[in-house]
Amino acid sequence: MAGLEIKSVSKTFGTVRTADSLSLSVEPGEIVAVFGPSGGGKTVLLRMIAGMFEPDEGDILIGGRSIVGAAPERRSIGMAFQNFALFPHMTARDNIASGLRKKRGADAAARVQTISRLLKIEHVLGHVPRELSNGQKQRTALARALVGNPEVLLLDDPLRNVDAKLRYEMRLELPNLLRRGEAAVLYVTQDYREAMAIADRIAVLTAGRFEQVASPEEIYARPASVAVARLFGDPSINLAEIVPFVEHGTVFATISGARVLLGAADALPGDRPYWLGVRPEDLGISLLGGGDAMPARVLAITPMHEKVVLLLRLEDGKEWLASLRPDALKLAAEDSVFVRFAQEAVQLFDRETGLRVSLSHRRQAA
Amino acid sequence: MGMLELRSIDKVYRSRGRPAVHAVRSLDMAVEKGEIVALLGSSGCGKTSTLRMIAGFESVTAGSIALRGRRIDELPPARRKVAMAFEGYSLYPPLTVRENIAFALKSQQLSRSEVSRRVEAIARLVEIDDILESYPRVISGGQQQRVSLARALVRDADLYLLDEPMGQLEPQLRAVLRGRIKSLLAEREMTAIFVTHDQTEASALADRIVVMEDGVLQQFASEKELKERPANLFVASFIGEPPMNLLEMEVKQAGSGFRLSAGPDVAFDISGDGLDQAARGVLAAVPRVQVGIRPQRIGVGEGAVRVRIGSNQWLGDQSHIAGECAGYLLIAVIPNRIAARPGDVVQFAIAPRHLNIFGPDGVCIRHAEVS
Amino acid sequence: MEHESLAGRIFRGAALTLILVFFMFPIVWILLMSFQTNEQILRIPPRILFEPTLANYEALISGQLRTAAGNLEITFMRNLWNSFVLSSGAVVLALLLGVPAAYAFARFKFRLGETIAFTLLSFRFAPPLLVLLPLSLYYQELGLNDTYVGIVWVYQLIALPLILWIVRGYFEDISPDIEHAYRLAGHSWSEAFTRIAVPLAGPGIAAAGLLSFIFCWNNFIFALILASADKQPVTVGALAFVTASGIQYGQIAAAIVLSVTPTLLLALYAQRYLVEGLSLGAVKG
Repeated sequence: MAGLEIKSVSKTFGTVRTADSLSLSVEPGEIVAVFGPSGGGKTVLLRMIAGMFEPDEGDILIGGRSIVGAAPERRSIGMAFQNFALFPHMTARDNIASGLRKKRGADAAARVQTISRLLKIEHVLGHVPRELSNGQKQRTALARALVGNPEVLLLDDPLRNVDAKLRYEMRLELPNLLRRGEAAVLYVTQDYREAMAIADRIAVLTAGRFEQVASPEEIYARPASVAVARLFGDPSINLAEIVPFVEHGTVFATISGARVLLGAADALPGDRPYWLGVRPEDLGISLLGGGDAMPARVLAITPMHEKVVLLLRLEDGKEWLASLRPDALKLAAEDSVFVRFAQEAVQLFDRETGLRVSLSHRRQAA
Repeated sequence: MGMLELRSIDKVYRSRGRPAVHAVRSLDMAVEKGEIVALLGSSGCGKTSTLRMIAGFESVTAGSIALRGRRIDELPPARRKVAMAFEGYSLYPPLTVRENIAFALKSQQLSRSEVSRRVEAIARLVEIDDILESYPRVISGGQQQRVSLARALVRDADLYLLDEPMGQLEPQLRAVLRGRIKSLLAEREMTAIFVTHDQTEASALADRIVVMEDGVLQQFASEKELKERPANLFVASFIGEPPMNLLEMEVKQAGSGFRLSAGPDVAFDISGDGLDQAARGVLAAVPRVQVGIRPQRIGVGEGAVRVRIGSNQWLGDQSHIAGECAGYLLIAVIPNRIAARPGDVVQFAIAPRHLNIFGPDGVCIRHAEVS
Repeated sequence: MEHESLAGRIFRGAALTLILVFFMFPIVWILLMSFQTNEQILRIPPRILFEPTLANYEALISGQLRTAAGNLEITFMRNLWNSFVLSSGAVVLALLLGVPAAYAFARFKFRLGETIAFTLLSFRFAPPLLVLLPLSLYYQELGLNDTYVGIVWVYQLIALPLILWIVRGYFEDISPDIEHAYRLAGHSWSEAFTRIAVPLAGPGIAAAGLLSFIFCWNNFIFALILASADKQPVTVGALAFVTASGIQYGQIAAAIVLSVTPTLLLALYAQRYLVEGLSLGAVKG
């Protein structure tokens, strides 16, 4: 039985369809990240669930009963906000206790104590929000959302306003904390790494529609569309427009002078244009040329996340990014190199629709 | 003789009724021609004050600034030959993007065709060539930031100062733009200093990084040096994503070397040969030291250190595995995935040569070996 | 830049002194006048040093005004009480009506919302006399003429728009998320309003209440037309000092001092509270 069910929910503001027939269900104890670019409708979706707006169409169920039209206080929802939204005139303790039905008594005090210990804010319970650091404010807000053991937890980009170090720590702690109460968790974020680190599944929301809902591994390895592929990965995926051709029963494509093997002939339907995508970490760089390698010039070398990112200019003038282990190759700007990638690393998307062209069939054939 | 030299710079903000704020303390720093330097630190560390003193928007309380050998700290900003991109963009609202960028070239008395050639070249580089005729208010924050960058980079100046130049850029563009700007700066041998709180940006763009905290320069070195050989505990706990694991360990003399331990499973023998005189003296004198080990230097799967897994997160191209060991949180970062689940016990391998040891004053007395 | 030159400091000091003298002089002069007899006041040239007398205050409090033409009954203390009743009544009513209305205008977008809010504000633009003539006719019909209720009601023209617009701004500055958070924690709409919105807008409500109190206190024209002697506030009552045998400057000054004091004390008290409230901070997270 699902903790949270969203059934074909739509919402239009003026002429903009902010939610376009969205459906999603979240099991109790499951964390689903809603990820997408800003303006994609993430916040509106969360607010419809919380009862700040009502959907134009569709239904939202918590624990099997519809909550559309119910007052926010009757929905059994805990929510943490990007701007913390703490009550400035109350101490951290009262802020947290406000999340409980019964605010006084030994039981309430014990629950506040327990959740504060988990979030490591016991020592600041007597302070009012303006005396707290950003990190402590965030933890207090989370404690307030968690303390009442709600059926549904909504987190609206809760780590946006805390510094990088704290964000990292919270990224480690949050999954365990959120799973404690068996709540169905919706976690909104604009950072794909945060989504991958925290969530069991990720719902990619762009322009009011779910582009893909799947596990982090699945989305990273098999994005449903070019748009999703571009959102996951830093640096983002390299794309080239190709028109594949068949030779000796095998499909090839030409990119910047190199002939690359795509698979067996029966896999691709005809001479249509496709997007070919290769992730920067899947590119191989070498000093040896060949028919299957794209000659390129190194424009710049930028270290990033324990790797080095090469900005490459291919012969057709396009720029590609390659991400390598720092010790892989000694290179300098202006060097000439050759770029290769394995057939397995290739992602294909329809040029018109942007949708993924399945590779499973092709792999069998090849 | 460097391109830019800051000599014992101090900056004190005084305002009535409040204690004086010592924002920058005896800062010495020399930047070579063609070098890209990042000022990195958390908010309030003095990095922006430093940049604004070089630009001339803040006076220097004590010390001197020289650019190309001439003193500039008494000159008004316009005569210092520096170009600046502001964090808040500061675009002129009544001018189009093209006019905004061209405005920076006004004082250089170039021909009209030369101006438009330069404007278009820089606009292509930061991908704003399609919005050149738009006004600032109708373009997105990321686009405004790119215009602001273009306006600074289009000028001929001795020094380019960039305040948080890429914080608002669209994530998909960031990696490409970093590469292009780095290549542009290198090609023209432009000297640049930029302020950032984002380590990723600092290490991607800069040749060398100044780490600041509390107005004091903590270390001025390359990205690799900062990560592998931090000068002190602050740098060790600040640099890296995630930063170094820090453990307090007991020190015991063992033959000619020392034995460091944080529990029965976690013990390391450090041979005396790799230590200098001072380090040996410190280790012989103190009962406990702080020991740092980079998450990327920990092997996972085998090894003597048994760790109870708290979380195992796969980020697409690397796994971050955190676990508890002898009361400490240990984080390892590896390029592949492992099957461990929270609660499992996994073995971590930590080699003694990868340990950084910090003395009681926080200064690193023994650096890890860099392979 | 932060090191100011000596000349600069001297200039700033001189300018500040000049401004202070310009604004404080009339107030100080009135205070001095209130302790002098009419003869002392009208002396030419005026003197700073004089023998202070409490006669003016005695006259006001006892209600006996001695003039050259004989004794006059005055009702100053009654006027003062009227001012107090009318102004506080008006402010309390305006707060009860205006704060919820301001909240509605700040939080909910409804059809004609802006128009209604602006119409309410526009009452402040209309010349009072224009409103008064028809109003006094209606009041006579309705029996509201010369009643506290009637005057408190008409004072809403002064107090309500002020409270509405000032408090609305304060409500708009509070992040709606704070109230949403409170509601999700299991509290009703009215609890969120009374426990979160109102306390957080407290400084604004206090400021608006104070300002409208002062405006009501200082009003002259409404009460002049709509109230008879025993309902008149001090502003109208002060007319009594213009007597057949001349103007009683000393008593006027004393009356001004007495009538300014309550609002001044209120302002001083509220100022402390306002500053405290405004530095509450963290309203926006």
